[in-house]
Amino acid sequence: MNKDMAKNLRYGAILLVICAVCSLALSVVNKITLPVIQGHNAATKTQALAPLAGGMSIGDETLVSGDEMVASYYVLSQGNDVGGYILTLKGSGYGGEFTLLASYLTSGEVISAKMLSDSETPGLGKKSEEDWYMDKFKGTGTADKPVPTSKSMLSKADSDAISGASVTFGGVSKCIAYGSTYVIQKGGAK
Amino acid sequence: MSGHVKEFTKGFFRENPTFIVLLGLCPTLGTTTMVANGIGMGLGVIFVLFFSNIIISLCRKCIPASIHIPAYIVIIATLVTLLQMLLEAYVPSLYASLGVYLPLIVVNCIILGRAEAFASSHGVLDSALDGLGMGMGLTMNLTVIALIREVLGAGTITLFPIGGWDGVINVPILHTTPCRVMTLAAGALLLMGYLLPAFKALIGLITAPKEATR
Repeated sequence: MNKDMAKNLRYGAILLVICAVCSLALSVVNKITLPVIQGHNAATKTQALAPLAGGMSIGDETLVSGDEMVASYYVLSQGNDVGGYILTLKGSGYGGEFTLLASYLTSGEVISAKMLSDSETPGLGKKSEEDWYMDKFKGTGTADKPVPTSKSMLSKADSDAISGASVTFGGVSKCIAYGSTYVIQKGGAK
Repeated sequence: MSGHVKEFTKGFFRENPTFIVLLGLCPTLGTTTMVANGIGMGLGVIFVLFFSNIIISLCRKCIPASIHIPAYIVIIATLVTLLQMLLEAYVPSLYASLGVYLPLIVVNCIILGRAEAFASSHGVLDSALDGLGMGMGLTMNLTVIALIREVLGAGTITLFPIGGWDGVINVPILHTTPCRVMTLAAGALLLMGYLLPAFKALIGLITAPKEATR
């Protein structure tokens, strides 16, 4: 074994030890924090679902696999009839992936929407977490009032409000418009 | 003793990370749209800088110079990930508001800079004081920049919610007619252009009498 190889092996061993210690520390902290984080996420989701239901009762979550944006849905019932759906939608904004909940009537009309988790820019794209941000989508998704997918489809006040965060708006509106089409295709099926 | 005090205080004025050394400008300009974000980011950096300096100082004799960077990056990334997990579990509101800037602490030049320039060649106590002082200096800068930008750009001062109070103070007049550009990147750069010479002039005023007496 020459000198260089011995030196490189020593460096590799030092880095291996550092990585092992770091991995151990991370796994211990992950073990402690994971149940707390999962509890928070479940509580946040439950809290977010109730105002989206539009007075209808919320069914169990059905997971969707293989769809580009819809991760799961909840059926909204009015007595024995399907009144609408709440969809868990995955999209991407300026800061990466986000998850939002959007509720629809079976006709595809948006009842309400709520940003669940995102990594958008504070003060800009983060505005999408506020209730007023999603209000502009309420009642859209019909033939005569489509989901606004560009700034030109918004009023001047709404357009000014999303100024500086066009990528976030594009991602959110694309998700909500996709959800509307998805619901129409489901056509009231459970 | 005075040596230890110097190590702690240099981060505030003499070697201020933002205004004198000009390190970590990207997260500084990115996070300072709200006061709460500036303070939160500052506290995150204090945590990572303090512990990374201590760990690196403790390991300085075991890590050869040629593998400083990969070793330090692993240590810093671990501390940032720990901070992320702890904040997400115990302070979820701050975790949510910091968003993408929290993992970006890993590539904050101040942390790697202090590890390489100071902690790798100094004792544990001095390194800890250096990390604490630099972190507090950065937090001071972030808070001042965020305060000016938020007051001018949004007409509000956003602190942390306490009980039923949402933590937002509305500034009269500016709240209804804010100068929106200040919350955008252009406003941040404009403000830095004014703050850099102002800070240097302030340092000159503080140090000039001391130099004159020498």
